[in-house]
Parts: sequence; C-alpha cells; structure tokens
Amino acid sequence: MIMLDTLSKGQKAKIKKIRTDGKLLRRLLDMGFVMNSEIEVIREAPLFDPMELKIQNYYISIRKSEASLIEVKI
Amino acid sequence: MKQIKVGLAGQPNCGKSTIFNLVSGIEQHIANYPGVTVDKKVGFFKYEDYKVEMVDLPGTYSFSSFSQEEKVAKKFIIDESNPNSKEKSIDIIVNVIDSSNLKRNLYLTFQLLEIGIPVIVVLNMIDIAKNRGLEIDSKKISKMLSCPVVETSGSKSIGGKELMQTIANTFEKKTKYEEFKINYEELEVHIQKIEKLLENSKSHLSKRWLAIKLLEEDPTILEHVGSNIKKEEIDKEIESFHTLHDKDTISFLATFRYDSADVIYHECVKNNNINKETLTDKIDKIVLNRIFAIPILLFIIFLVYEISIVYGYKLTDYTWPILASMKNFIIDILPMADFTKVPMITDFFIWMTNSSIALLNYIPIFFILFALIAIMEDVGYMPRMAFILDKIFKKFGLHGQSTLPLVLGGAMVGGCAVPGVMSTKGISDERARMATILTVPYMNCLAKVPFYTLLLGAFFKPEMALMMFFISTITIFIALLIAKLLTTTVLKTRQTAPFVMELPPYHVPTIKGVFIRSFQKVWIYIKKVVTIVLAVAVILFAMLEFPGLSEDSILKYEKQSEIYLAKFDKQIKNNKYYQLVDTKNEVSDLLNYYDRYRAKRMAATSKEDAKQLDKKFKLINADYYTFLKPRKNKEAKKINRAIRKLSRDRKKVLREMKNEKIENSILGMTGRSLEPITQYAGFDWKINVAFLSSFAARESAVATLGSIYENNKADSKRAEEAMAENSGYTPLHAAAIIIFMILTPPCIATMIVVKMQTNSYKWMVFAIFFPVFLGIAMSSLTFTVGNIFSLSGVEAMAAFYFAIVFITLILAFYPSKSINWKGGLNKV
Repeated sequence: MIMLDTLSKGQKAKIKKIRTDGKLLRRLLDMGFVMNSEIEVIREAPLFDPMELKIQNYYISIRKSEASLIEVKI
Repeated sequence: MKQIKVGLAGQPNCGKSTIFNLVSGIEQHIANYPGVTVDKKVGFFKYEDYKVEMVDLPGTYSFSSFSQEEKVAKKFIIDESNPNSKEKSIDIIVNVIDSSNLKRNLYLTFQLLEIGIPVIVVLNMIDIAKNRGLEIDSKKISKMLSCPVVETSGSKSIGGKELMQTIANTFEKKTKYEEFKINYEELEVHIQKIEKLLENSKSHLSKRWLAIKLLEEDPTILEHVGSNIKKEEIDKEIESFHTLHDKDTISFLATFRYDSADVIYHECVKNNNINKETLTDKIDKIVLNRIFAIPILLFIIFLVYEISIVYGYKLTDYTWPILASMKNFIIDILPMADFTKVPMITDFFIWMTNSSIALLNYIPIFFILFALIAIMEDVGYMPRMAFILDKIFKKFGLHGQSTLPLVLGGAMVGGCAVPGVMSTKGISDERARMATILTVPYMNCLAKVPFYTLLLGAFFKPEMALMMFFISTITIFIALLIAKLLTTTVLKTRQTAPFVMELPPYHVPTIKGVFIRSFQKVWIYIKKVVTIVLAVAVILFAMLEFPGLSEDSILKYEKQSEIYLAKFDKQIKNNKYYQLVDTKNEVSDLLNYYDRYRAKRMAATSKEDAKQLDKKFKLINADYYTFLKPRKNKEAKKINRAIRKLSRDRKKVLREMKNEKIENSILGMTGRSLEPITQYAGFDWKINVAFLSSFAARESAVATLGSIYENNKADSKRAEEAMAENSGYTPLHAAAIIIFMILTPPCIATMIVVKMQTNSYKWMVFAIFFPVFLGIAMSSLTFTVGNIFSLSGVEAMAAFYFAIVFITLILAFYPSKSINWKGGLNKV
C-alpha cells in the first residue's frame, strides 16, 4: 500500500482510494481527487510540509497528514 | 422595464469578481448574508429594456453544503428560486469559468446545470488560455451542454456586452427551457426511487435534483425537504447502492461529474503546448524555492510594511492639515471661553472632534494597506504565503493563512489590528480563523509605540534598544502561545477545515478591481468603526466630566484667575491702548483671538496660507492684530508680551482644573477602585485611568499620562522627564506597565471589527476581558517576582521574555490536535 505523502518530488501516480470520510473526503473529491485521476508531486514546502501537487491540470497544496490518507498506485 | 435577477456563481480564482465589476460598474453594495460573515455583493445595471440585479454568490468549488460558502450559496438558490416568496426569484445562473482550468471548473458547472434554472457559461480569462496554447471550441461546449456560452476576459474588459445580450436572450427564451439531466447509469434506479418518495413534497425545486442531493447526504437539502422523507429511507438506498456496486454514492457522483468534465475537455479543447513550462511554473520555482522562499516572503512583508505604514504615515502629513482645518472650523463656530470658564458644549465638541480626527487620520494608511492586500490577493501570492509558513502556524492551531493578519497587526513595531482582523475573512479553517481574530490584537499596534517610547524614555534610557527588541519580538510569541491556549480550550470544539488549498496561476491585478475593493473596505471602516467609536466617545466624555469640580475648587480656580487677570491689568495700566482691554470681556476676547490665531498659524503649511490668515485676522479686528504683530510699535509690544504671559497662565489653570476633574470623575474613581487589584502589578490609579481612557483610542493613553504627570510649574520639561521625576515609579513598575500594555485589550475600533468578523457579541466581550485578566496576571507575576528577587526593570523584562519564548518552543513540540477528522481504515 503506497500513500501519497511518501512520494517524492517529480513522481507521478494514480489515485486508488481515499481512506477517510466526512468533510475531508468531500473536499478531496471536489478538488478532483477522484478514482484513477493522475497526480504529480511538484514540490515540498520549504519547511518540508505541506506538499504541492498537480491534479486535473492545476496545482494544489495539501498537508502531509492529509496526504497520508490517500492511497495511490504508481 | 423588465426585471431580471441573476445569480453569479463560480469557483474561487475564476475571475468572478472581475466579471461582476465589468457588468455592474460602481453601483454595487456589500453586506453579509444573514447570520454568517460571508460577503453578499449585489450589483445593478441597465441593459436595453432590462433592469438586471446581479448577486455575486460566494466562490465555491462544489455545490454541496460542507463549507460556510457553499451553504450560503445553496441556501440563496433555494430561497430565491421560490416563486411563492415575496422576493423576486432567480431567473438565470451565470457560471463563470477559468478557461485555463476548464476541467475542475466544469465539475461545478455540471452541478449548477442540474438545479433546473437556466445557466449561462462564461469562459473567462479566455486570453490567458489562448496564450497558454489552449484552443477552446466554445460553440461545441454550448452544443454539448445545451446552454449559451460566452467568451470573456474580465481583466481586459472583453465580452461584457455579449454577456448582457445573452442574459437578455436567455430571459426571453426561458419558457422553452427543458431540464438538464445527466444519466447516472447504475445510480438511476436509486434516484428514481427517492424521487418517488418526494412526490408529496411541496418544494418548488426540481425533484430529481433534490433526489440526487439527498443521495449525496446534503444536510441543507435534507432540512429543506423536512418531514416529506425519512432519513432512513435515503440511507437504505445509499446502503443498497453500496452493496450492489461496492461504491459510495458520494465518491461515485464526484467521479461521474469529473469524468463528464473530462469528456467535454477532450472533445472541445486542443492543447498545443502540453508540456511547456508556464510563467507561473517559472515564478514558483523561485518564489517557492526551499532556500529563497522565506527570504522572499520576509522581503515582501517588509515591503508591504514599508509602503503602507511608513509611507502611509508620511502621507498623513499631507492629510493632517485638512483634518486640522476641519477642527479649527468647528472650534470657530463653538461658543468661546470666558477666560477659564469654558462652556461644556465647547468642551464636548472639541473632545468629539479630537476623537474622530484620531481615527480619520489613519485612513490614508488603511487605503494603501487595503490596496496592497487586494493586489496580493489578485496576484495569487496569499496561498503561497500560507504554503510556505503553514508548518509553523499549524503547531499552534493557526493556519498558514494567519500570516498576513498577524503581520498587519504589527509583527514588526507598528501595525494596526483593524486591517489585520478584517483580513482574516479568507481563512477557511474556522477554528484557526477565530484564533487569528483573537490573537491579532496582541500585536504591536502603531498607537502603542508612543506609549512605549514614553516609558522607555522615562525609565530605560541606557537600555532602550534592548527593551525595544524585547517588546517588538515578544508579541509574535505571545500571539502563538495564546492561539495555542485558545484552540486547545475554548475553541476546541470549533470546526476545522482540511488544508487542501489551490495554488492558482499568477495574475496581473486590475486597477479598477483593486480600487473598488480598497475603497469599499475603507468605507466600511468609516461607516461602522467611526460611528460606534464616536458613540463610545460620548460615554467616555461623560465619565470624565461628571461629577465635575466641587464648589470650593471652582471658587479656588476663580480666585486664581482673578489674580492673573489683575496682574495683566497692572502690567498694561499705563499703556496707550489700555481702554481697548480694560474690561474682563475685552481681555477674554483678545485672549481667544490670540489663541485662535496661534492654533491656525500652526496648521498653516505654506507662506501663502499664512499671509491669507494674517489678512483674515486683520479684518476681524485691526486693533487686536496690532497686538498680535506689534513690529516696531513699543506700546503694542508690551501688550503682546502681557497677553502671551496671560495665555500661558490661563492654560496652567485649565490644566489644573482638568486634572482635578479627572481625579474626581467617574473614570478617576473607577481607576481608584481598581487599585486594590492592580496594586500587585504596581499600578496606581493614574495608570489605571490611562489604560481605561486608552480604550477609546490608544493615543489617549499617552495624552492622559502626559497631562497627569505634567508638573504644574509651567516649565518646558518633556513628558518623559516629568514622568520619571513625579511618578515615584521604579523601572520595575515601568516593566510591569509595559507588559500590561503588550497584553492590553483591543481598542474600540478593533473590537467592532472583531464583532463583525466573529459575528458574535460574546466573542467581542471575550476579546476584551481575557486580555485584561491575562495582562493583570502577567504584570502582577512579573512585579511580585521582581520584587522578591529585587530584579531591575530590564532583568524582570528579560525574565518574562525568556519564559514566554521557552514555553512557546516547548509547545511547538507538543503534538497538535488540529486534525480531528482522522479515521477511516487506517485507525482499525
């Protein structure tokens, strides 16, 4: 099982499952973290957290604690 | 004339407000939606035969009900599409889309199309999309979604006319509108079942849309349908869908909509430079670079501070004369003083004028500040700031977006809590937003600086720089500490939001947009803050004025006045002009004439003004003018000298009267009655009164202290020296006072914006009393400990400083509980 927060800069992956519910799940879905969507890690923040991702053709930042709930496949 | 009501919807960063400004022009008004602090902007414009009312809905990524903005937008659509309500119902939804970010924007479009109100899609920023090599076939989009599509560029004012035309056309064709339906395939059975259950519902909304929203477990819609359907029945359908297909309805619907958006994207968009680096990519490589990011951020903060506070303050040099002449004008029309008997009405209006001028003086600074904030928002730097610093703020229950409010509040010496608190609006995390609102007032506001300067000058002459360093750097630690304290106690149950934040492409801001926004904010300040502050100023005036001087004192001062008048009379008895000033009325007149000229001469900045002034005063009374400017007239010179002395004497009597009045006033008595509590911090009643009066505006603390400690010999001692000599305080006292000032409660202006942003009087009251308790506790602790160990003022301050820094650092490593939505499979 690979979680999103373990990916490093430049790596690409696909969303497999979001292991959370409630508000965070909805927010992630709304922002395009839907099944099979492609994701690329752009960079980490200067203090190593949060991380910047590219998804659905735009850029988004997400804390690592939240990224650790997203299962991906490479 | 036909009336059309339009709802303007769109995702954040789609340029919705530029479209709003493009069509509605300056005629717009902002309020809050009832009960929440989300902006409600309404604009009006006329087009041909139509009067269009456009409501700018809050920007939302989705149309579910999981953020305040979404709830507000949804409620608005539900309430204002009801044909039975007295409000005019919405005719059209205009959906603004960022053309360069089509896929995610269409996700919202699909949700809007389903509502059952005609939608117009606006492809905004079409020029930027073209520059990026995106070829968008808008005709094809229009065909596929069977709704009108307009291409615009809000920032370049392109497409406004076409949009208005389309609104008019759509309005005329409304009767031919057919409901838009997405075929949700395997979910359809369940949608139809729910629709059936809704048959008896009296809702004016499309049953199908309600059914879909119910399957999404949307709380607002569930409330809307009320008793027509049982929650268990919906849960049953969701459950059965889950067992049949191994999918959640929520994820299924979101995936389905994104897939639909993907279909449109692939059919209608051709990307000519798919892997080319955009300008935003290039900028972010530097601005978000691991090494450069923080220095660049600090530089930008420094620049904002420098431009707004430093240059803005210089700008007040030019606006001040305007305010001063306003003040002089008001004084001119007030009844004049009869030597030391000043009519209360005169006192009152001078007090009110001074109170309002103190606040109006900040307007140039605010205007620049608001404009700079608007520019940073438009450019897209704000979310980047949050991205860079979130890790630190997160540890204290704050959010990356708390950076700017804290900086504006005065992270360096001198900011202002009013714009700081006002700029918390965008923080998506409710708990962090509340914590930020409540901690911004602890920063070093501009008006605290003169107070510090006074105390440092009086008690810490050799260690001034070190003390200033302590004062200016401790505030951020205190703010973080208090934020942590609040978020783990009183704010613990507040909603938090996930930190999932878009980093939008950089944009060039529009001058019109920046101007409109900063003007609106300044206007809110003038309207809300100034009016309420003036109301409080009336109360303070009463508290300072009553019960007033005792009969004995009045007699005493009258006697003193008579002595000075007699002295004056004796001095000029043999003067050839004596008959002009031989009655008390005449002397009083001349004195007022003299004082007024002096006041106005100080406000005049140019030689030209001064000449004009001279002319005017010559006209008022040519004889008095000779006394004013005696030149070589020896007799007149004598009168000039005598009147100057008399003016000084009068001021002295007035000052003594004022001090006695303050001492006996309600405020003075309050200050005295607080002494038993404040004695542990080393405060006497004078300091208490100064703090009480600083509540209206901080500046008055210095003024009050200055006037209390002025010794009554009319020498030219500065306030610092006077205080050091006459107060009987030690530097340790001063350190305790400084610590209280650091933690002092917000001024009234700040409290009003706290009320506006928290939308609650309860929190406003909390924002006043919590700092008072904390301040008293901290300064008492420092004072008492300092006394026990016989520390000097600097030592006590240093001890306090390092204790705070130490606790903050420990807390930084204490695990933060900011994520309370954890769970799912990982936990098992």
